[in-house]
Amino acid sequence: MPTANGLKKNMIQINNLSKVYRTKTIETTALNNINLHVEKGEFLSIMGPSGCGKSTLLNIIGLLDEPTSGEIKIDGNGIKTYNSKATAKFRNQRLGFIFQSFHLIPDLNILDNVELPLIYRNIGRKERKRLSEAALESVGLKNRMNHYPAQLSGGQKQRVAIARAIVGKPNIILADEPTGNLDSAMGNEVMDILIDLNKTSKTTIVMVTHDANMAKRTDRLMRLYDGTQIQ
Amino acid sequence: MIQHIIKLIWKKKGSNSLIMLEIFLSFLVLFAVLSLVFYQTDRMNAPLGFDIENKWLIQIDRKYKTDSTNLDGIFVDLKRELMATKYIKSVGICNAMSPFSGSTMETVDDAQGFPITTRLVYADEDFAKSLNLKITEGRWFNEEDKSAIYDPMVVNKYFIETYFPNQNMMDSTIDLNGQKKIIGVMEDYRYTGIYEQFQATTFFFLPKRKPQMAVLSLDLIEGTPLSFEIELNELVKSLIKSTNFTISNVSNLRDNTHKMTWLPIVIISSICFFLCFNVALGLFGVLWSNIQKRKSEIGLRRAIGAHTTDIAKQFIVEILMVAAFAVVIGLFFTIQIPILKIIPIDSMIFFRAMFFAVLIIFAIVSLCALYPSNQAARIHPATALHED
Repeated sequence: MPTANGLKKNMIQINNLSKVYRTKTIETTALNNINLHVEKGEFLSIMGPSGCGKSTLLNIIGLLDEPTSGEIKIDGNGIKTYNSKATAKFRNQRLGFIFQSFHLIPDLNILDNVELPLIYRNIGRKERKRLSEAALESVGLKNRMNHYPAQLSGGQKQRVAIARAIVGKPNIILADEPTGNLDSAMGNEVMDILIDLNKTSKTTIVMVTHDANMAKRTDRLMRLYDGTQIQ
Repeated sequence: MIQHIIKLIWKKKGSNSLIMLEIFLSFLVLFAVLSLVFYQTDRMNAPLGFDIENKWLIQIDRKYKTDSTNLDGIFVDLKRELMATKYIKSVGICNAMSPFSGSTMETVDDAQGFPITTRLVYADEDFAKSLNLKITEGRWFNEEDKSAIYDPMVVNKYFIETYFPNQNMMDSTIDLNGQKKIIGVMEDYRYTGIYEQFQATTFFFLPKRKPQMAVLSLDLIEGTPLSFEIELNELVKSLIKSTNFTISNVSNLRDNTHKMTWLPIVIISSICFFLCFNVALGLFGVLWSNIQKRKSEIGLRRAIGAHTTDIAKQFIVEILMVAAFAVVIGLFFTIQIPILKIIPIDSMIFFRAMFFAVLIIFAIVSLCALYPSNQAARIHPATALHED
């Protein structure tokens, strides 16, 4: 999306980012000197073989992990200066997560699962319900809001996870292999929802995937190999 | 958030009900033990009504003589001889209801129009002085009472408070095994021990009633050497021409009774402690296992904006709420005891026991929840989200 001076706004800015895991005997470089700029409203997919650092990169963008070196800015905010409370608040208000294995809480019904991010935002019960119902409607599951995760198919679970990710209207959605546990039909269904979300609400989406067909449907593809950016 | 936690607890009602049952039973045991301890300590802190330091007793075996008149004569002689020794300040005589004896004589009489139940003790005019009985109103027996037309009695405060509350009963005549005149009120005479329950006690004048004499109570001067016991032993032996008697130190008798009373409480308290310890270990284990099972949930909550303190708080509040449900059920049952007066003792003992049982339960639960919850909060979200 162009800014006032005609330039597109950077939503995610990563400069010279590296992540090294150290034990007493071994040092493993998970990410090596990554540079990445994701524009507002862009749908980026990250591909690469298993263990190449895709999820590590996504976790760092999602402030679930810290880089060993380098700089990361999200929506213009330098994250390094944030303390743990500010980081948690940032995640809650600006980011939405979608996981391969859905991570729905089995003891809560669909509506309660979707409400979860709003609980940490101290939003009142009625408002939470209204927003959650709207989010479920947008993924076509409003009629299932009183069901439990165990009563849903994989595709439906992932749609619930999408509803949970968008209920707080975040700027960025981070999806870690959202179609990885689904068959191609369900995978495409989920992908349609994500593309629609990206187009209609201009939400920036970063998606890690193994599936080249899904990656092709995004605006841009980034490839990683052994922690190094190759495309 | 509370509503959210209640939903989680309700959905796990199967496993939570077992924890609740464990806490509920612990609460009941704690309540019972604490009630017993408070009951005992209340009585322990109440005045006995007499002194125990430098007080000795001489008990003469009743088998020594079967002729009670003769025995009474010997008691009077003994009293006179003992008073002649340099260490004895006063000597009193009573029947078998001497300090820490364990003997009891009780009467129930409803001639007053309502039943009066009181313990009976027979004592002579010097008995109060020899044990320093605390007379709060009126007087103790004296020589004049021997020839008085009335039958005198001295009662304890509990007697008046129970049967004649808010009445001045001094010099009143009541029907208790015949007409008796209350000439004095003493603080108490809890002679069976420091844990004796509060009850009505009445002294009758021994020379007037002529029951069998049994015990001599001696008030010794401070600093009486222990060797005096040998001297006393010889003196009594020479006077009664027998060795069928016992000399005891009242404070030693008190200590022995004390041990006998505390022993069951110490045993029950130890069992209670181990029960609580086991409950604590069980809770710790259950919480730890819960957290391991819920790692993915923890990771998710962190990802969607929960701070580490939110995670720790959630686990602590969850277990505290389960404990609260168990305690409320426990309180529902235990509160019936004072309300319905199922056990006729001071209700405050039960309320105190409930209060402290609740405190102890919540302290145990909080302590057990603290470490696992803290560990849950420390779980790295990225790691937790990839464990499935």
